[in-house]
Amino acid sequence: MAGTETISSTFIEYAIFIVLLPMLAFPIILFLGHIFNGNQKWVKSAKEGGLIALPIMVASFVLSMLLIAEFIGTGTGSHHIGDWLSFGWMSADGMTINEKVFGVGIYIDHVTVMLLFVASFLCMLINIFSIGYMNTDPINDNRNHRFYAEFVLFCSGMLGMVLADSFLWLFIFWELMGLCSYLLIGFYYEKPSAAYAAKKAFLTTRVGDVFLVIGLVMLWNLFDSLDYAVVFNEDLIAQVDPGQLQLALGMMFIGAVGKSAQFPLHVWLPDAMEGPTPVSALIHAATMVNAGLYLVARMFPFFGAPGMHGELVDLAFIIAAIGGITAVMAAAIAFVQDDLKKVLAYSTMSQLAYIFTGLGAALWLANSLDWHTDDKAHAIVVVAFGAALFHLFNHAMAKGMLFMASGSVIHEMHHAHHDMHHHDDHGDDHHDDHDDDHFDAQSMENMGGLASKMPITATAMLVGSASIMGLPLIGGFWSKEGIIANAWRVALEDPRFFLPAACVLIGAAMTGFYMSRMWLKTFAGKPKTEVAANVHENTPWIPIPLVTLTFVSLSSVILAGMMFTHWAGEPNGGYAFFGEKGLLKGLIYEFEHVFANSDAFFFVLTYVAIFIGAIVGPGLAMALYGGSLKDGEKAKPWMQPIINLSSRVNAKRGFDNSAWANSGLSNALKERLYFDKWYDAAMLKLVAGFANVSAAFDRKVVDGTIKTIESTSQKLSTQVRRLTTGSARDYIMMAALGVLVIYLLLGVMV
Amino acid sequence: MSAQNGFNSDMFEALAPELTLFVGLLLIMIVPNLGNGTFRIPGTSIRLPWFFGGTRYKAVASPRLPGLLAVLTMAVALFQVICYLLDASAADGKVISSENGIEIFKVNMFSRIFEAIFFAALLLAAIASLDRLPTGSQKSDDIDVLFNNRRQADFYILMLTSALGMSVVALAQDMFVLFVGLELASFSTYVLVAFHKETRAGSEGGAKYFIVGSVASAVGLYGLSMLYLWAGSLQFDVLAAKWAADGATSLSMMALGFVLVGFAFKISAAPFHFAAPDAYSGANSPVAGVLATASKAMGMLGLMRVLLLITIPEMDAEGSAIWIGLLGVLAAVTMTWGNIAALGSDNPKRMLAYSSVAHAGYMLAALTAIGAWNWGLVDNAGDAMDVVVAALIFHMFVLVFFKLGAFLILGVLEMEGGASRLSSLAGLGKREPLLAIAMFLFMISLAGVPPMAGFLSKLLVIMGIVEVATGTGSLSSIGDAHWVWWLALLMVINSAISMFYYLRVGVVMYFHEPEEGRKGPLASGASIRIAIALCAIGTVAFGLVGGELIELCRDAAESLR
Repeated sequence: MAGTETISSTFIEYAIFIVLLPMLAFPIILFLGHIFNGNQKWVKSAKEGGLIALPIMVASFVLSMLLIAEFIGTGTGSHHIGDWLSFGWMSADGMTINEKVFGVGIYIDHVTVMLLFVASFLCMLINIFSIGYMNTDPINDNRNHRFYAEFVLFCSGMLGMVLADSFLWLFIFWELMGLCSYLLIGFYYEKPSAAYAAKKAFLTTRVGDVFLVIGLVMLWNLFDSLDYAVVFNEDLIAQVDPGQLQLALGMMFIGAVGKSAQFPLHVWLPDAMEGPTPVSALIHAATMVNAGLYLVARMFPFFGAPGMHGELVDLAFIIAAIGGITAVMAAAIAFVQDDLKKVLAYSTMSQLAYIFTGLGAALWLANSLDWHTDDKAHAIVVVAFGAALFHLFNHAMAKGMLFMASGSVIHEMHHAHHDMHHHDDHGDDHHDDHDDDHFDAQSMENMGGLASKMPITATAMLVGSASIMGLPLIGGFWSKEGIIANAWRVALEDPRFFLPAACVLIGAAMTGFYMSRMWLKTFAGKPKTEVAANVHENTPWIPIPLVTLTFVSLSSVILAGMMFTHWAGEPNGGYAFFGEKGLLKGLIYEFEHVFANSDAFFFVLTYVAIFIGAIVGPGLAMALYGGSLKDGEKAKPWMQPIINLSSRVNAKRGFDNSAWANSGLSNALKERLYFDKWYDAAMLKLVAGFANVSAAFDRKVVDGTIKTIESTSQKLSTQVRRLTTGSARDYIMMAALGVLVIYLLLGVMV
Repeated sequence: MSAQNGFNSDMFEALAPELTLFVGLLLIMIVPNLGNGTFRIPGTSIRLPWFFGGTRYKAVASPRLPGLLAVLTMAVALFQVICYLLDASAADGKVISSENGIEIFKVNMFSRIFEAIFFAALLLAAIASLDRLPTGSQKSDDIDVLFNNRRQADFYILMLTSALGMSVVALAQDMFVLFVGLELASFSTYVLVAFHKETRAGSEGGAKYFIVGSVASAVGLYGLSMLYLWAGSLQFDVLAAKWAADGATSLSMMALGFVLVGFAFKISAAPFHFAAPDAYSGANSPVAGVLATASKAMGMLGLMRVLLLITIPEMDAEGSAIWIGLLGVLAAVTMTWGNIAALGSDNPKRMLAYSSVAHAGYMLAALTAIGAWNWGLVDNAGDAMDVVVAALIFHMFVLVFFKLGAFLILGVLEMEGGASRLSSLAGLGKREPLLAIAMFLFMISLAGVPPMAGFLSKLLVIMGIVEVATGTGSLSSIGDAHWVWWLALLMVINSAISMFYYLRVGVVMYFHEPEEGRKGPLASGASIRIAIALCAIGTVAFGLVGGELIELCRDAAESLR
């Protein structure tokens, strides 16, 4: 890559501590937690490790910010700081190590920096949130220290993956995250559903990981290295067989599909909501699922290399198509979910799919446009890539916030439920998701009208939903429309792209519907249960991240004005924040350039997308689920008009959708389109059948052979040991025989 | 290299570790006997205190004292040896001669590294024995204490004398001196084996070991006398010069055969190994560990002196040593026999004994390869020899840790009441997780699983053999390689067989229920556990970072030539 240079400067040198700090905190928290388990002081003053993890995550975040500031200051290219350690094969004489195989290093460029901010920032906020959310629970032998230990380990995995300087280290940290997500999803392991979900998540992502390993091996075969500094070298890329490279990258993409829960490896994500809510926010919204996107974004230099011109478009199409299919499918399933977290889970899948589509389009453009020389083409590629990355940013912020807000709702619902039913027996003790007397604190059917009771949460949810929907000027708006426009731009060139392009356009309306439905069912209308009527916000820790993220989502407009899209998308760097323009000019430029690109077709298209996302979807949702609050209660002034509007739409345009709700399609969606059933059946038939056959082979042939060898040797052994009679006379006789043999042999020699 | 005649301070400096042993020996004899004894001047009634005998002083009456003294002595000697090794280079060497110019000792890296092996093994065994021997009650006027104290003293005196004997073997430059050292060490170990005279197995094993060992010694001595007859001297350099000049005559070949028998017993090569399993199973576990490591290294050392110094062809001559056919057969038979016999052994100590027979076979295979060092294909014969010798020394060095360690684990079990069946180990994984892990480490190291030291040593030996056999590597087919290549293959096959019985220990420890009446953690014994921990650390550490030690062995190997 052109701008690669090895530099030594202040904070970038210390980048490794961003990863090491949380990694070192892992054993410490685990150990301390083990010692002080259940001790009141430990619970109160350290929050079972939460307050130990917090400064670590803050330190990681501060270091990350310093690094980012320094990177933006230097402004250009990518930095590769590596080779603190290098390992190699033993050479043939077995004594020396002569060939470097891999080293430990840090690689920093614009993609790294963006994801580093997302990961470290959200990890820190989720840590704050967890302190409020994770309650001590003697039923689970006070094992929240385990949660924090696994949490910090997970964070180090994510940060390490982002900072890694080779695909090998990326993979190592990728797997570390996989392990932690298994542990965290199964945190309430006494619940069979949680244990099952953890297993499912682990195994499903493992399917993808196997392909990732295959892809990495193929890549190694092509380049003899997995270091970014080597494989991104355009001269080396030009020498590689494009077909093989495409296959290798395709295999790696399957790994990304598994990690980012895309069709057809998406089945694990909804079940993974069995984990504590901070875990859902951490793994399933903000960080881990972005790993797959990051991997695909990392492939950009292959697509962008002049030596590969036009050779990798098929893979780009597959990436976009998988994205398009998942976007619609997940959005459709989200229509019928009643569980608050499940709606968000499907929304996550759907939005990640958008980003995949955006990346697919950007990679297609980079691969087939002559963007190294043509300025207009260059701008198109940069903006397409930047839009996908910007959506990643916006989605991570918004979805992290939404999950935490949903956690806040669930937490308070639980509290209210406890206060009402068990106030006298076990005080404050409770734990997430353990549903005594079958009250489902996550079901939206039990909520309603919470806008007035949980103003901070409701506001956060509102802003988050608006960002996901892409309402004008808020969060995702700036990136989503770019993705849609670029998908269509490619579709005009390559007709295959009509599939993903149409999917993302339809998906915009669907997003509008299910997000509005979720908000309205939860916060508008009258409380549907007594519990919902008695909810209020009462922990101080939870609102902090919510408020922070609300502002971040709202301030996307500033980032857009600073031409974040250009900055993030420019692969060779050199695009300073603010560019040559001021904030306002930047915004206007963004409006014109990003969406319209001075082309009437895209201009119209963008506004169609905005319209259906902001009007059609929410309108339908209001008609079905709108309603005013209980008499005498008022929400905050920025939410009241929405509630009023929804109740008016509901009154005027409300219709009965029970026919649809009982239709076959709806049931199919409720059953998640039967994917899980098919997979289970396939596993039982194919895998279990194969396993039986191999077990039989193992037992009969492999074991049989070895047992035969063993029993023969044992018989021989008995014979041999029989010579050891126990009598010294015999021993001497044997020795004498030995002497004879020695002389025979020596005689032969002479 | 400087020659030294007669006694002077230089010699004391050169022989510091041996002198340390000697002083320690005297201390163990004297210190526990210090008391308020008096001496009556004859013919008068005046009694002068002479501090010997009588009622022992409290400070010296502790039955642990001899053991501590022995540990201290051995530790100091080992420290001195290690200091020498770290300081010295391959070219250094100091010859100590008698007044009339006969070389007696030579102090160089080769001899010192063997001393390090001996002292390390004996030190670990001595540390472990601090708990192993019953020390009785601590009351100073108890007759038991006196008895036990004496027995303690005897035990450690024998340990130190065997250390002294071994170091004489290591330093000797004369076959006769070597023989004297060998006998000193052997007699000490004979008694140590039979030290538990109350048990039948102990005295029986000791007696058999003594009888067969004496026969082997006698045969070896007979060979020596023939050598003397042939060359008129038993000096190594004289013998080597004579061999180079005359080559193999019927007299010298006959002598060589007898001498080989003497050493083959020491390293328990088949078919001279029969007494070994009996001796190991009868002996106290730390003693058995010493037999399997230090004593065997001593035998190997003697073999190396005879085979590599005296009867090896000159470097500029073509061809292989005269004995390689014999040694090849001996190696093949020994390693196979040991492994096959170990497969069916239910007594873990006998199993380890047979395993050590198998290891002797591996070492003999390496020696065989060295015998082929001068044959046409080898590029740089001297280097090829150094590689194999270094591998051999490294193997014997790390063997101390995992072979002795395994015996020490059995020693802990013996404190509970016997370790004569494999089932005694059952359930150790639950009863004593740390000990079980250590035992498992020792077993997989013995089997040669990476990253244990045993893997590295076996790998080096096999690679050395293959290097000698294939020479410059310009072979068109494996059929062109020297036949010692097959020994390497046989070693690999044997290692595979040995997996069965090594890993079976793991199965028994982790998957079998403990025997009736053996529950919970074992009796505590801090010192034996420390020794086991040291062994485990050595096993893992030298496997991971063996480079330094290999370099040392390499230097030592160079200093042999």
